[in-house]
Amino acid sequence: MVALLRGFYPYAIAILIAFVMYKVMPVGAEKIDLGILQINSFFTKVTGAIGIAIIMAVSLNIVNGYTGQFSLGHAGFMAIGAYTSAWITHYGSIHFFGNANAMEGLFTKGSALFVASLLAAGLVSALFGYLVGLPSLRLRGDYLAIVTLGFGEILRALLNQTQPVLDEFDIEEATRGEIFTGLGGALGFSGVPKYSNLFWVWSVAIITVIICYRLKQSIHGKAFLSIRENEIAAEAMGVPTTHYKVAAFAIAAFFAGVGGALFAHTLGNIVSPNEMNYQRSIDFVIMVVLGGMGSISGSVIAAVALTILPESLREFSEYRMIVYAILLIVFMIVRPDGIFGIREFWEVKWIRRLFRRTPKETHAP
Amino acid sequence: MSVLLDINSISLSFGGLKALSDFNLLMNKGDLQGLIGPNGAGKTTCFNVLTGVYAPQAGEMRLDGKLLNGMCCNQITRAGLARTFQNIRLFGNLTVLDNVLVASRTQIRHTMFGTVLRSMGHLREERALHAEAMTLLEVFDLAHLAHETSRNLPYGSQRRLEIARALATRPKILLLDEPAAGMNPQEKKLLAELILSVREKFHVTILLIEHDMCLVMSICERITVLDHGVTIAQGTPQEIQCDPKVIEAYLGKPMESEAI
Ligand SMILES: Nc1ncnc2c1ncn2[C@@H]1O[C@H](COP(=O)(O)OP(=O)(O)O)[C@@H](O)[C@H]1O
Ligand SMILES: [Mg+2]
Repeated sequence: MVALLRGFYPYAIAILIAFVMYKVMPVGAEKIDLGILQINSFFTKVTGAIGIAIIMAVSLNIVNGYTGQFSLGHAGFMAIGAYTSAWITHYGSIHFFGNANAMEGLFTKGSALFVASLLAAGLVSALFGYLVGLPSLRLRGDYLAIVTLGFGEILRALLNQTQPVLDEFDIEEATRGEIFTGLGGALGFSGVPKYSNLFWVWSVAIITVIICYRLKQSIHGKAFLSIRENEIAAEAMGVPTTHYKVAAFAIAAFFAGVGGALFAHTLGNIVSPNEMNYQRSIDFVIMVVLGGMGSISGSVIAAVALTILPESLREFSEYRMIVYAILLIVFMIVRPDGIFGIREFWEVKWIRRLFRRTPKETHAP
Repeated sequence: MSVLLDINSISLSFGGLKALSDFNLLMNKGDLQGLIGPNGAGKTTCFNVLTGVYAPQAGEMRLDGKLLNGMCCNQITRAGLARTFQNIRLFGNLTVLDNVLVASRTQIRHTMFGTVLRSMGHLREERALHAEAMTLLEVFDLAHLAHETSRNLPYGSQRRLEIARALATRPKILLLDEPAAGMNPQEKKLLAELILSVREKFHVTILLIEHDMCLVMSICERITVLDHGVTIAQGTPQEIQCDPKVIEAYLGKPMESEAI
């Protein structure tokens, strides 16, 4: 019983933290006055974007960091999640509630539909992750990167070809095929009920971090890491590397799918399939590389920093790719393993020295 | 005596090069046998075939009666055959303890869902395997380095960690590929004692590749000598020592044939 509680209480705390954030952060015209700092709904928006970036970066870390595979298709999984969930909540709301508007409040029938759509988004995305992961059994490095890149681009091209989104009036005389492919095409998916908020985003974000951290600390997680370290030795130590590689892709895709679903329900529309193109995948890869391949805290810090930077400096966003490229080059020269390498920040020697703490054992099971 | 490993006329060639031809080996439970031969004789290739890295072009290998042909590396390891590498292949960025834990994964039953939810199975197995890993490290005098990054270990310790890691898979047979390479005579002597004690403590059967004749002769009960992929002698250390073919392979042919 105690063990059971031990297993679940971090998740409960995650939800609690998210709930507090949801209650505290201002929406609409509300403001929090801190004297020097006026916190308005723009902060709430950025906080939400940070949460989604954390979900994406930390999950990508399982593939690119832990397992040492190179995926450039993470935004593709995000798109799958976004479209799957948008389709479910949009057409589901029309079917069950008569219109596609979001219901007020956290715990409504609409939220139940939304949560179901999050799960569905994760599962569909995980299925695609499994399929995209299969080539990783034969391909390495650049070749795998090209396959995953191709996956994202093919998906984007297909989504651009879909039919217009149907509203509650169109749907009367629409065929099943039209409903099924009514994803909005190049115009994007509009009319997604705005169910997402800081509560959902940060619940998922913190839960993602906990799950990924628990995996990394566990023997299963170390099997992922062993593949990246030395695949031949991993096999020789009895690690079924094929199984773990595909699992890495599926797990990462699951969270990316959920992240995409949250993303779609934040603005209430997917502006265009091109929003989730390879450039976005590269953004996530950069977060993982800068933070440290295999370091969860590194990914979190990089996700926060690289979300705030372009948001706070509007002019900066034009030069984003240039700055990222320079950052990457500098890092490759100065710290090729990223800020923290494979470790978490509290395990890194130079940080410990900074705080002059005596090293303590961090390896309790 | 029961036969544990039965290798029956294994052959493998790389293109035109016959790396291993008609190789036979019988090992009983508890044996400590040596596999020797000059550089390029095919010793490592023999290990690679046994562990599933290469598929043999002919012949059969059985472990405890179970056919190993066609199994992939990790299946063979889980069937009970573990190895070390001549060129050390540790998980460099992982700690010493983690290196051993990866290998002990062969024992876990809980799934990744169990890990994520901290199920009872997860807690019990992780705790047991952590404790077991530490005991193993103590045997190899590595316990005080458990949280050290394995890449930063001195060479001799890395070699010992390779053996410890292989043992963590709980093998029936341990294949050691030149474990004494690069060690000084003092270290070699300690290693020889370690190998003998490992056999006692862990009840494993050991097949040892080694260059150092002294070491092999002193601890192995039977020796197989390879040259250019061909088995040129098989027998006790005494028999091997006086075998003219072995002397020839190691010291070169007598003068008259070279005069041409
Ligand atoms: N993958 C490979 N491809 C081609 N030739 C190989 C390969 N592996 C080993 N060989 C060759 O097989 C022979 C035996 O090598 P090896 O088994 O490593 O010798 P050793 O007895 O020194 O361990 C050598 O001539 C080597 O060049
Ligand atoms: Mg060799």
